[in-house]
Amino acid sequence: MNSQLPLGREQVLEALRDVQDPELHKSIVELDMVRDIQIQDGTVKVEALLTIGACPLRETIITSIEERVRQLPGVRSVQVSLGVMTQDQRQALIGKLRGGEASPIRRSSFLTADSPTRVIVVASGKGGVGKSTVTVNLAVAMRQAGRRVGIMDADVYGFSIPRMLGVSGQPTIIDQMIIPLEKDGIRVMSIGFLLPSEGEAVVWRGPMLHKTLTTFIGEVHWGDDLDYLLIDLPPGTGDVSITLAQTLPQSHMVIVTTPQVAAVNVAQRAAKMAEKVNMEVIGIIENMTGYQPSPDVPPVYIFGRGGGLRLAEMLGVPVLGEIPLDPAIREGSDVGIPVVTSHPESPAGRAFREAAQRLCERVPVLVG
Amino acid sequence: MSPRMPTPTEMGSVTEKTLRITWSDGHLSQYSWHALRVSCPCAACKGEWTTRRHLDPASIPTQIRAMRIERVGAYALRPIWSDGHSTGIYPFNYLRHDLCECDECTARRASAAP
Repeated sequence: MNSQLPLGREQVLEALRDVQDPELHKSIVELDMVRDIQIQDGTVKVEALLTIGACPLRETIITSIEERVRQLPGVRSVQVSLGVMTQDQRQALIGKLRGGEASPIRRSSFLTADSPTRVIVVASGKGGVGKSTVTVNLAVAMRQAGRRVGIMDADVYGFSIPRMLGVSGQPTIIDQMIIPLEKDGIRVMSIGFLLPSEGEAVVWRGPMLHKTLTTFIGEVHWGDDLDYLLIDLPPGTGDVSITLAQTLPQSHMVIVTTPQVAAVNVAQRAAKMAEKVNMEVIGIIENMTGYQPSPDVPPVYIFGRGGGLRLAEMLGVPVLGEIPLDPAIREGSDVGIPVVTSHPESPAGRAFREAAQRLCERVPVLVG
Repeated sequence: MSPRMPTPTEMGSVTEKTLRITWSDGHLSQYSWHALRVSCPCAACKGEWTTRRHLDPASIPTQIRAMRIERVGAYALRPIWSDGHSTGIYPFNYLRHDLCECDECTARRASAAP
């Protein structure tokens, strides 16, 4: 007829290889989501299967399929129809994503000792030193530097990552597999996403914490391409820390402290725990270092001086950064725009970026 | 930072007569299954607060052995015993320095004892 170039199913399938599921970050062809391709007189009909009917990103999938197929020579129009996977098809997909491993605790790639994902636990001896703020800003700075980053909010009672990063909503759950939410390319999981509202309190005893954490590690689909997973710990050395220590075969610890001597002595306990569970402390971040209202006046050291350095010397590890007090940090945390994004050139923004860079140098990802 | 704890680089099978572990510091350790079970550090065997309580070795079957051994995080092993016990988490340091039954380690511990 009028179609000069023979357009085959293989060509269309090849083109669809570049279309990724927006949540699973894998090719829809690889995931067996393309069910049928029909070609007639330059009209290509593609039928794709969604994992669940209520997929929030169905329009994105349709648009990217259309865009790809339309670029093929000889294509005049594209029609995309979407179906939903059956239970069996979903199970097969989950199996595929988990690398074919049947054992439930081997689901996440970083649960193996030779995983390419570097797990970094952000800890402190006591609360209120700014762990979550540090975690979020480090993650954003690492992301800006081109790393693939995830944040696991392990502070189950005091979760604050969702607000600080400005991410809310409910994660997509495909059977037992939870897809982390994403903000500016950072994959995030927090108990906050599973509660009806931010004001809801988590009033649980230890065993529930353990269950939550093992779910976050084992049943959340972090993907096998993460460079860094940052874990925001609750303060101290309790249930959550123990569960993580007993579950993660390789992880590194960053300790956040304020410059105060009293805080340093408590922070040392986090290091003591790390030693007991064979986790390597890779550096100290001193937060709330000093306040300089403007460049022409000397900084005021509200919480004293030198705590981070003192702790670093006691442990024989470097200070990765000293983050000055800056109202912009607090404001950013409240509105969900971390200071490295809102004020990248402020002293605090620069300090976070430098800390992130030193961290990446201390724990390099495998180049490959 | 204190030196990292030794980690097993190679482990024998649970089907063997004794447990063999080669450590990252090069040391080769041997453990008899019975002694390892008696040394279980869990709260049920050792008590929660003191080290005074000791498991009566006679209460453990002489033929006891581990059915399998799991790794715990980056720092310990957890044997699943043939008597069903499985709550003991043995840190690498404990295994390497306090429980190793080789002549060298036994002699060192004997001379250090008060």
